Amino acid sequence: MPPFENLPTDLVLQGIFLLVAGLIVVAAVAVVTLRNIFHSALALILCFSAVAGLYILLEAPFVAAVQVLIYVGAISVLILFAVMLTERVMDPKMGARNEQWWLGLLLTAIAATGLGAIVGFAPWPLSKAPIINDQITALGKEFLTTYVLPFEVASLLLLMALLGAIIIAREKEGG
Amino acid sequence: MSQNAARTETMVLNMGPHHPSTHGVLRLILELDGEVVVKATPDIGYLHTGIEKTAESLNYTGAISLWDRVDYLAPLSNNLGFVLAVEKLLDIANIPPRAQCLRVLLVELQRIASHLVWLGTQAIDIGAVSVFLYCFREREQIIDIFEMVSGARMMTSYIRVGGLAQDIPEGFEKKVRDFIRTFPKRIDEYETLLTQNQIWRDRTVGIGKLSAEEAIDLGVTGPILRGSGLNWDIRKSHPYSSYEQFEFEVPLGQNGDVYDRYLCRIREMRESLKIVEQALNRLPKGPVIIDDRKIVPPPREELATSMEAVIHHFKIYTEGFKPPVGEVYVSIEGPRGELGFFVVSDGSAQPYRVRVRPPSFINLQALPRMLQGRLLADVVACIASIDIVLGEVDR
Amino acid sequence: MELLSPLVPILIIVIKSGVAIFALVTAFAYAVWIERRVMARMQSRIGPNRAGPFGLLQPLADAVKVLLKEEIIPQDAKVPIYLLAPAVSLVPALLSFAVVPIGPEIEILGQKITLYLADLNVGVLYVFALASVGVYGIVLAGWSSGSKYSFLGALRSSAQMLSYELPLGLSVVGALMLAGTLSLVQLVEAQKNAWFILLQPLGFLIFIVSAVAEVNRAPFDLPEAETELVAGYHTEYTSIKWAFFYMAEYINMIVVSSIAVTLFFGGWQGPFFPPAVWYFLKVAAFIFLFIWLRATLPRLRYDRLMQFGWKILLPLSLVNIIATAAIMVWQG
Repeated sequence: MPPFENLPTDLVLQGIFLLVAGLIVVAAVAVVTLRNIFHSALALILCFSAVAGLYILLEAPFVAAVQVLIYVGAISVLILFAVMLTERVMDPKMGARNEQWWLGLLLTAIAATGLGAIVGFAPWPLSKAPIINDQITALGKEFLTTYVLPFEVASLLLLMALLGAIIIAREKEGG
Repeated sequence: MSQNAARTETMVLNMGPHHPSTHGVLRLILELDGEVVVKATPDIGYLHTGIEKTAESLNYTGAISLWDRVDYLAPLSNNLGFVLAVEKLLDIANIPPRAQCLRVLLVELQRIASHLVWLGTQAIDIGAVSVFLYCFREREQIIDIFEMVSGARMMTSYIRVGGLAQDIPEGFEKKVRDFIRTFPKRIDEYETLLTQNQIWRDRTVGIGKLSAEEAIDLGVTGPILRGSGLNWDIRKSHPYSSYEQFEFEVPLGQNGDVYDRYLCRIREMRESLKIVEQALNRLPKGPVIIDDRKIVPPPREELATSMEAVIHHFKIYTEGFKPPVGEVYVSIEGPRGELGFFVVSDGSAQPYRVRVRPPSFINLQALPRMLQGRLLADVVACIASIDIVLGEVDR
Repeated sequence: MELLSPLVPILIIVIKSGVAIFALVTAFAYAVWIERRVMARMQSRIGPNRAGPFGLLQPLADAVKVLLKEEIIPQDAKVPIYLLAPAVSLVPALLSFAVVPIGPEIEILGQKITLYLADLNVGVLYVFALASVGVYGIVLAGWSSGSKYSFLGALRSSAQMLSYELPLGLSVVGALMLAGTLSLVQLVEAQKNAWFILLQPLGFLIFIVSAVAEVNRAPFDLPEAETELVAGYHTEYTSIKWAFFYMAEYINMIVVSSIAVTLFFGGWQGPFFPPAVWYFLKVAAFIFLFIWLRATLPRLRYDRLMQFGWKILLPLSLVNIIATAAIMVWQG
């Protein structure tokens, strides 16, 4: 960033990172603790947006834009949609727990342990390579060469979800 | 819906009485499942003004002016309906031909004016804003003509028992000819904007269907009935006011949907224009009101020379005329359908009871049937296609 | 002076942002004026002509009127969200203008100044991302107003905007492939020889149709379908809060026109006039098109709109991408 080279860049970036990271954590906690599910959904949107901020800090504008486009712009709207259409869900008196809480706890514990293990044991090498300018082209090439299998598997998963949605919608129409 | 499906709730939406497209103060209670109408209940009475009751305390001539306010989009048709009923009560058969011909001419112009308001509102309800303004531009021409003959733009009260209030003024013919010349092109313009428009067809074809049987069962009349394919037009079946002498066709639809009603009314405007032209061409000379001093006040100049005339004048303006005891029902083909007047006389100068058969009120019955299972967006299209005037529904 | 020199670039950006926002708000005001005058002419009316010559001061009068209107908050409104929604609607609209290039570099007082705020290398995606955030303004407004009409309007609009984002996004892919970039500035430069409208006519058609739907203009103005839903999602809003929605709609219209100009009509490029003039002329032509459509066409019905988006526009835009790719490969 040539125009700003005289400013204490590192300090500013550090500050922004802490701010964004803090926002993510606060929003994430709010998602699970707020009593009104509509507010939870709004907190989730905030969380997604903050994650996009993190990507921008990492100089990955493409991922950031896609994050906003898909997670903030599409997925969260659908969540809001579902919440708005089910009136009873918004009653704050309704418990935030149900009979499957132990299953949720178990899964969360497993996931947390797994993540913790990765964070703790993975070596975090600092890449010395310069930031690529043409990220999008590079990303596209990598997807269709090195990572073609995961990419296609993910596509297949999405296709299945799509078909599933159609089948569920169809069933209702017929019955 | 299957038993095990998740419990879904319907939403009750109160549409009106203050809503942009309920054409006045109609209130609709809509039960919606998503945007699909499960049940529609019209609620009327917000514009009740007690006009029928008021008529009982006015004399017959005075009461004419009330019917302008019943259907304020077709005052002349209402004038004519009531006057024809009173004339039947009085057993007057010798209405001067000039008056008859002018009555037809004006009532047909009125039909066009009323249909123009319908077309404009139907268009704006479906979102075609411009057509609305074009329609009002043309209606203005007709209203100018009315103002010319009666002095009032809307509340004309021009038709009198026995004929007309006065003869048409100079320049009338030119104005009507102008209208006859320009109007067909304007209708063509609307048709380019709407009839051939794919979006318009999407919004109207197959919407608000009413089969011929249903239409008969519900008692609907006018363009809605004809849109369902039934050839019923009082101008043809029970001609009044010399309609039998005019050549015109009764446009019919087939499917009874909003689109067919739209086409019917558009073609009706063209037919009405034909009638107007014929009437203007054959307009006979002569008086415009009968010469019966018991019913019609004497001409002004006689008052200076004839004592008898002064007495007649005094009697008619202080008391009015007294039809014999009896009851009649006369109906005409108003712009919205069968417009009927049931008048009971007890021999006094005031009607004992007047009951209007308002086409809007009866046609409105068909609304819940049309709306069943349709989308919210179709609701406004259907209301507009019935062409209700709330003043007439509530009276 | 030496000390201040690193701040100059920042200062320039701040000034440019200020100018851009001011220009956008003015453009909004006069877009409304143009719409009212042009529609009036199309409908054989006169339109506003009292405030100033040709009614040119009408926007000012309107602004004062709107500011002085009574603030009403409905009883059933969920207040914080109800107040937040107009801002959520307007801010993304303003932000998305940041990447729109009005012209190439110019020099003022020895400083090279670009006629755009930022040349992001994901410019197109940035605009779409912000457009998708703009949906929230409508959804939140509809939900928090506590009115059924608002609610129905919000439901409609979220479905509509989500559905039309897809063809909108896919329709520009052809142009992006031809230019090989997502940056709006580079996209303009790629059209030096031929505007993409010539190479991508189908892509442009899909884009403009989806764009009309995306900014909720007639004939796709279902979220605020006046005759059905009173005013849709902003039924319960008054005063300046209502004006925010109105501003958002028109600024979105300007942004979408700018994107159309940038992607398909060579942006600022054109003979004789300076670049910025060409840009304004082209955008004005699009605004006129929007107004023209509104004065001519009836409104589509909701289910038809969805069918049209999913069953016609989406497959067509996919066909367009595949065809473009095939031709590009064939031509090497």
